Amino acid sequence: MPRATRETNVYRRDARANHKLLTPAEREKLIQPYLPSPPSRSPTRETKEGFRDRPIRKSRLGLRNFFKAQLHALLYAIIHTIFSIYIRIRVAYHAVKDRVFAVLYYHHRTPELIQKDVKGLKRKPEHLSVVLKLEDEARGGAGLEALVDEAAEVAAWCACAGIPMLSIYEPTGILKGYVPATHRAISRKLSSYFGPQHPALTLRAPHVPSMESPSTPTSDSPEISQKQLSVLLLSAEDGRDSLVDLTKTLTEMSQRSKLSPSDISVDLVDAELSESVMGEPNLLILFGPNVELSGYPPWQLRLTEIFHVQDNQGVGYQVFLRALYNYANAQMRFGR
Amino acid sequence: MSMSVRNFFLSSPPVEWAVNQLRELLIGALRQGPIPQHVAFVMDGNRRFARTHKMETVEGHNLGFEALARILEVCYKSGVRTVTVYAFSIENFNRSKYEVDALMEMAKVKLQQLSQHGELLDRYGASVRVLGSRTMLKPDVLAAIDKAVEMTQNNGDAVLNICFPYTSRDEITTAIKKTVEDYSTPLHSQARPFSQTRITQKIRSRNLSTSPLASSPLRASSPAPSSISDLDESVSSSTTLHPDSPPTDSRSHNNAIYQDPETITSETLDQHMFTAGNPPLDLLVRTSGVNRLSDFMLWQCHENTKMVFLDCLWPDFDLWQFLPVLVEWQWQQKYLEDKSVGKVGASKSAKALKVR
Repeated sequence: MPRATRETNVYRRDARANHKLLTPAEREKLIQPYLPSPPSRSPTRETKEGFRDRPIRKSRLGLRNFFKAQLHALLYAIIHTIFSIYIRIRVAYHAVKDRVFAVLYYHHRTPELIQKDVKGLKRKPEHLSVVLKLEDEARGGAGLEALVDEAAEVAAWCACAGIPMLSIYEPTGILKGYVPATHRAISRKLSSYFGPQHPALTLRAPHVPSMESPSTPTSDSPEISQKQLSVLLLSAEDGRDSLVDLTKTLTEMSQRSKLSPSDISVDLVDAELSESVMGEPNLLILFGPNVELSGYPPWQLRLTEIFHVQDNQGVGYQVFLRALYNYANAQMRFGR
Repeated sequence: MSMSVRNFFLSSPPVEWAVNQLRELLIGALRQGPIPQHVAFVMDGNRRFARTHKMETVEGHNLGFEALARILEVCYKSGVRTVTVYAFSIENFNRSKYEVDALMEMAKVKLQQLSQHGELLDRYGASVRVLGSRTMLKPDVLAAIDKAVEMTQNNGDAVLNICFPYTSRDEITTAIKKTVEDYSTPLHSQARPFSQTRITQKIRSRNLSTSPLASSPLRASSPAPSSISDLDESVSSSTTLHPDSPPTDSRSHNNAIYQDPETITSETLDQHMFTAGNPPLDLLVRTSGVNRLSDFMLWQCHENTKMVFLDCLWPDFDLWQFLPVLVEWQWQQKYLEDKSVGKVGASKSAKALKVR
């Protein structure tokens, strides 16, 4: 978009000659008409001189500024009115689209259907991560129940789609307090999908005594027992706090001369964090309406593909599936 | 054909003037609402832009620089305090030598050019900082960086952080390293010009008539917390009486007192990041349709930062692409405000009143 075509051309010629064409003064002259008025930092610079002609000048400027401000405020109101109309339409459009997707792609709790949905994908994430939110902390029980159910659903989809590793991030960490109950809920969900012979499940959380799945069903059928799903529960304390904890440990070691600060490298930190928290997920799915990480572990997020559906609310199978399609760079069509 | 007609139309003076007026008007209107204080950009897509427009890669980077200049103008005019841009990743050193050299040269020339306009920068109060791993740069580029940074360091109104050879993991590791170094330096330096034994001797030789309590302030030489100084007093009163005091002294010498590692918090690390002192990151924009952070601002944007991934390529990025992002951000701020006001009952609003 040409803002000042002549000046841009002069600038580009100068730039191509490695800025040897113009002198600094000439360059300043070039941009002079486009400079805004400098920010007023010291309004009380001149106090006594120019006292006489100042009031007039000030009032005229003040009036002009007043009108300008009014114009800006009006325009601001107009922009936001238009925008709020636009966003309502957008939300409605997305809601309809999501509904259509949800109807067209429904799993019917059938692993075969999910497998068919993901069959054509060129690549699948080895490690999938999702962010879940605890709704309505005030009502406690209901929110927690919904959260556990969502976690179990996502785990079941992963097991069907053949994703071996799932990490569930939930900021408050309430799930970590109910590891056995969550384990039971996921197992139940898996058996409702797969029947009695469902894939083995491991549920663990960092810093919590690892819950080796005692209730792993002893399925003798080899093709199913190959399938393994490990679920990791994360919370806000595995984010920045884990880096802080690592720093504390390193500091202690350094104070006792067991380590020199120059030994601290990216590899060391990475090894420690993937040991104690987790490695890098390949794909992160956000079920919220926009991209906000709300305290997700920062270190592990380096190259993770972040997926969200604009204006989406809530955990849905179609979001999960769209994320996988997006990850595989595949087009999703209406209809299977 | 139609493209050239369009360009001709847009570059005709009256249209150009009108477009510029409109820009100013829109920016002025934006200023009426809340404005993100810290915005970060991943300037992605220069190379693809060059490829699709059949030009040299370096030319794409040049156009990218122009886009940066345009967007900085929009940001600062609308009231953004700090802008952080991802200019060069440590990983980018793996690109062709030709391209790396060209980018380095470009950075050097632009920074040198910047340094020639010190007076202009002073007037607008912009300060430039270069974040990243300095050791990977050549001396001539470093010199250009240092000059530009030094010239503008006292300008505090607007900040431009250029992440030059940067990765976020490198930044976090550096912050951890610096914190560990900080906490591994003993609290009090041992090389003070005063010798404790000499003082003890002097006290002992000069007076035995004054009470041992009076001498204790002299002995309490360490700036330690009060609980320790209490203990010190009792020790000192005994040492002034007994000659076998040196053991306790030497113990405190060898075991230098360190800051307690438990006092390290995420704020401590925050203060050791390259972005220390900047407002929290409000908005992160990445162009060219890639939904990844690519090792940029991992630490900074993990909390409430809003991230936006746009499909347009960076050289195409301008006010017209940025405006919807800003408006949506403003809209969300208002929405959040309304929600928090509506949700919290009388108790919180009373609290808010008290704060006010």
